Amino acid sequence: MASETQAHPPSADHGHDAHEHGHFGPEMWVIPEATGLVAEVNEKQRTTPGIFRIVFFAGAALTILGIVGFVLKAVTVGFSDHRAWGFYVAAFAFVFTLTASAPLAACAFRFTKSHWRRPLSRIAEIFSLVSIVNILLFIPALIALPDIGVMTESGEQMVRRSIWFQELVNPSGWLLAGMIGLSFCSVAILWLAALPDMAQSRAHVSGFRASLYGKLAGGWYGTKRQWQVQKGGLAILGALYFMMVVFVQFLVVSDFAMAMIPGWKDSILPPFYTVISFQGGLAAILLVAYVMRRWGGYRELIGQAPFWAASKVLLGLTLLHTYHLFAFFITYWYGRLEVEQAILNYLMFDSYLGLFWAQLFFTFFIPFPILVSNHARREGWGAPLAAVFILIGLMLWHIRIFAAAFAAAPAALGGLYYLPSNAFSFPALLLPPPAATFPDLWDIFMILGAVGIVLLVFRIGMMLLPPLSLWEMKEGSMYQRVDTLIRGRYLVLAKPE
Amino acid sequence: MQEGKVLPAAQVNRDLLRSIMETPQWFWPVVSILGLIVLAAAITVGIMINTGLGITGLNYKVVWGFFITNFVFWIGISHAGVMLSAILRLAKAEWRRPATRAAEVLTIFSLMTAMIMPIIHTGRPWRILYWAFPYDFARGIWPNIRTPLVWDPSAILTYLTSSTLFVILALVPDFAVLRDRTTGWPKIVYTMLAMGWEGNPRQWKLQIIAGVLLSALILPVFVSVHSIVSWDFGMAVAIKSWHSTVFAPYFVVGAVHSGVSAVVFAMILLRWAYGWQDYIRHEHIDALGRLLIVVATGWFYFLVMEIIFGIYGLEGDELAVRALQFLPGDHGVAYNVWMIIFVGITYFLPVILWLPKAWRRNLWIMSAACISVNVGMWLERYLLFVPGQANKQFQTFTWNDYLPQWPEALIVGATFAFVSMLMLLFSRVFPLVPLYDIKEGDILRTEIQVGRRNLTATFRED
Repeated sequence: MASETQAHPPSADHGHDAHEHGHFGPEMWVIPEATGLVAEVNEKQRTTPGIFRIVFFAGAALTILGIVGFVLKAVTVGFSDHRAWGFYVAAFAFVFTLTASAPLAACAFRFTKSHWRRPLSRIAEIFSLVSIVNILLFIPALIALPDIGVMTESGEQMVRRSIWFQELVNPSGWLLAGMIGLSFCSVAILWLAALPDMAQSRAHVSGFRASLYGKLAGGWYGTKRQWQVQKGGLAILGALYFMMVVFVQFLVVSDFAMAMIPGWKDSILPPFYTVISFQGGLAAILLVAYVMRRWGGYRELIGQAPFWAASKVLLGLTLLHTYHLFAFFITYWYGRLEVEQAILNYLMFDSYLGLFWAQLFFTFFIPFPILVSNHARREGWGAPLAAVFILIGLMLWHIRIFAAAFAAAPAALGGLYYLPSNAFSFPALLLPPPAATFPDLWDIFMILGAVGIVLLVFRIGMMLLPPLSLWEMKEGSMYQRVDTLIRGRYLVLAKPE
Repeated sequence: MQEGKVLPAAQVNRDLLRSIMETPQWFWPVVSILGLIVLAAAITVGIMINTGLGITGLNYKVVWGFFITNFVFWIGISHAGVMLSAILRLAKAEWRRPATRAAEVLTIFSLMTAMIMPIIHTGRPWRILYWAFPYDFARGIWPNIRTPLVWDPSAILTYLTSSTLFVILALVPDFAVLRDRTTGWPKIVYTMLAMGWEGNPRQWKLQIIAGVLLSALILPVFVSVHSIVSWDFGMAVAIKSWHSTVFAPYFVVGAVHSGVSAVVFAMILLRWAYGWQDYIRHEHIDALGRLLIVVATGWFYFLVMEIIFGIYGLEGDELAVRALQFLPGDHGVAYNVWMIIFVGITYFLPVILWLPKAWRRNLWIMSAACISVNVGMWLERYLLFVPGQANKQFQTFTWNDYLPQWPEALIVGATFAFVSMLMLLFSRVFPLVPLYDIKEGDILRTEIQVGRRNLTATFRED
């Protein structure tokens, strides 16, 4: 009998130690008072803290700057020389990367029934509104994209490599359709997820928001059937959205990066880009959540648990990012094929050496030690700090890949490098590697504008919709309590089907 | 989510130690049959060493066939252990508890089996010395450490060592239980293995910390092993269809796909064989089924990328291999038919079977789906490796195909018998469901009332 008791894991004792060491404290898991939650959040929304005003005006100013840069670039250079638009495409791809993947975080962690997601869900979903802007930003990028093939004066067909396989179809329509579909799907997710909150908030708001909520959530009464449809709909839309995100990202990175660089055939790039996008999306969500908690007055509603738990996911994504990079590098480097060595030289060792190392420091060497530290993660500042570095690094990544890709496509042939199309033999080599391209003033304006428009649209989204998923937080408060196990006080979490 | 009832510790001990304390009637006959198959394979290996590799279907063109396919397959199966044990432990997934031990042990045995395959494949097993020692001592000619073929054994041995440590660490509390329930020489052995375990708070704390640390440290090894195996092929530029940057993550995800499926099937078998219905419950199989849908879809995505970018280059010799893989032709082996079968049974059929909840909870359907995945994953490796070598090049003397012969089929088949036999023998001396993990889960389990329903809940530290 003695051995039976000996063989029990003394969870209580272990947990008691952990409790004394601060593993579980009120800051870690916040259990909001469900009854007053709607009124409280609406009140917070009404009284705008200074930080949100700064975000709004900074976003607006940067957006104007970006528009000015874009107009001047279009007027002075035009769209005929695709090389001039590399930085614009990089800025678009950066915004697209973050904002397309951010809503996925809400769907994914809802699917895994992670309790800590609850304060982050709406933040993630509001990024869907930015996806509408993605469509607008995408159109100039499509115009700047060189055609897959043209007929020369001598009657020869000149083509470049493409995932559209030299059929001389115009991929722009398909790409644009993908982007529009993605936006629709993400906005549908936002609407469906915010439906109960808008219905509940009708009584607490006035003016435009009351009218908006009335129109968008007029028929919601919270019946059992409505809840079933809402939850089922979110699951189906989430799965659909996941597939669409991965597919559109595959199209974007293949068409706008890989196909532009002569000889670049890299099957890991689309998955790599997807990993990067998940990493960036989560980093952006954590950064917004931290600003809301630290300066936005949401401290008592957003605990430390989302940061503690999400930072582990961010750590995993950071490691995956580096793993994919290494898998690409080692296969090319070891293979010793001339065409692949030329691409490595261009993107990593020669032309973009400095940018490559800067990006690697920002996406791995700096955030990794932060995210590994239990202290930094538990205190809540570790993940947002790492997120800042990651976002800077990802911006550099996009410049290194997309701006470099647009600069590498030979201008004389309008980006075409197969001669002729029926001689599918050898890819052209990138020899010698072209020099690194640098942004001009208009490019810098457009990059800043891309960041600005994200801030601006996100802030407008926060003003229009409850910035926290109220129904999810209320649901969460029902599924958790603090209880005693032998000698320690612990959090108890339920996970219903 | 948790559906079973909390059982008294004494009953947990009694139920889960039944495989050790009592010998079922079927046990020794089954082990004997499996042993005979392994013996037959060992004799075949002896014949092959004596006669030479000529008795296999391998030839001057297709030099990597069934043996190497089987090597990669078993390395893949070994990925279930860490996937289930380390990742789910770090993620604090409650439903992991009954699955971890079987997964970890399957890792060890499948790694051991995998390591045998290249040794058999050499045809001259003593030549494996050249992987570590100079093959000409007098002139000090060392093996080329820059080849993945040398990284491979290093990575696999590291993985085997760390996985073994992982299993032993988790077994220590269970050894103590066995020590207190046995007599004679088994007691002496279990006493030594228990290493003075008393179950005091300090020992538990150390055990838990060591488990978490090993979980975190073993993850990079887990990823690196199959990545390096993939680079055995991916680094080879001469064989078209092999040199692909996506191979590393593609192999890792594929390994998890086949490994977790194998664990699910093993769990269903154990549940049936030892009557562990209270421990390996439908909810566990259901959760693993949902995990498999995600893993399978990730794997399918990598497969599509591999194929698309194989064609994307539009290089003549690569297109020829792809034509061999996907199109009907006049070559001897209908790879395209096998390719359709492989994709169907590895992704579409199992995912369709896993989608409805009722089917995920039907053990027959789950068994069929998991077997289907593993047959498909074996085929996947075969269809990935062989057509590239068999591809017809410009000169006729570079043409050849590969038809496996009976020695290869017997040896490959016997590896399944070997792993099954080792698992059964293990279950005879050590518990295949961790006692302490099950008890910990029961202690941490409670309920929360929401409205009129009582929901199962868990105490959490963070």
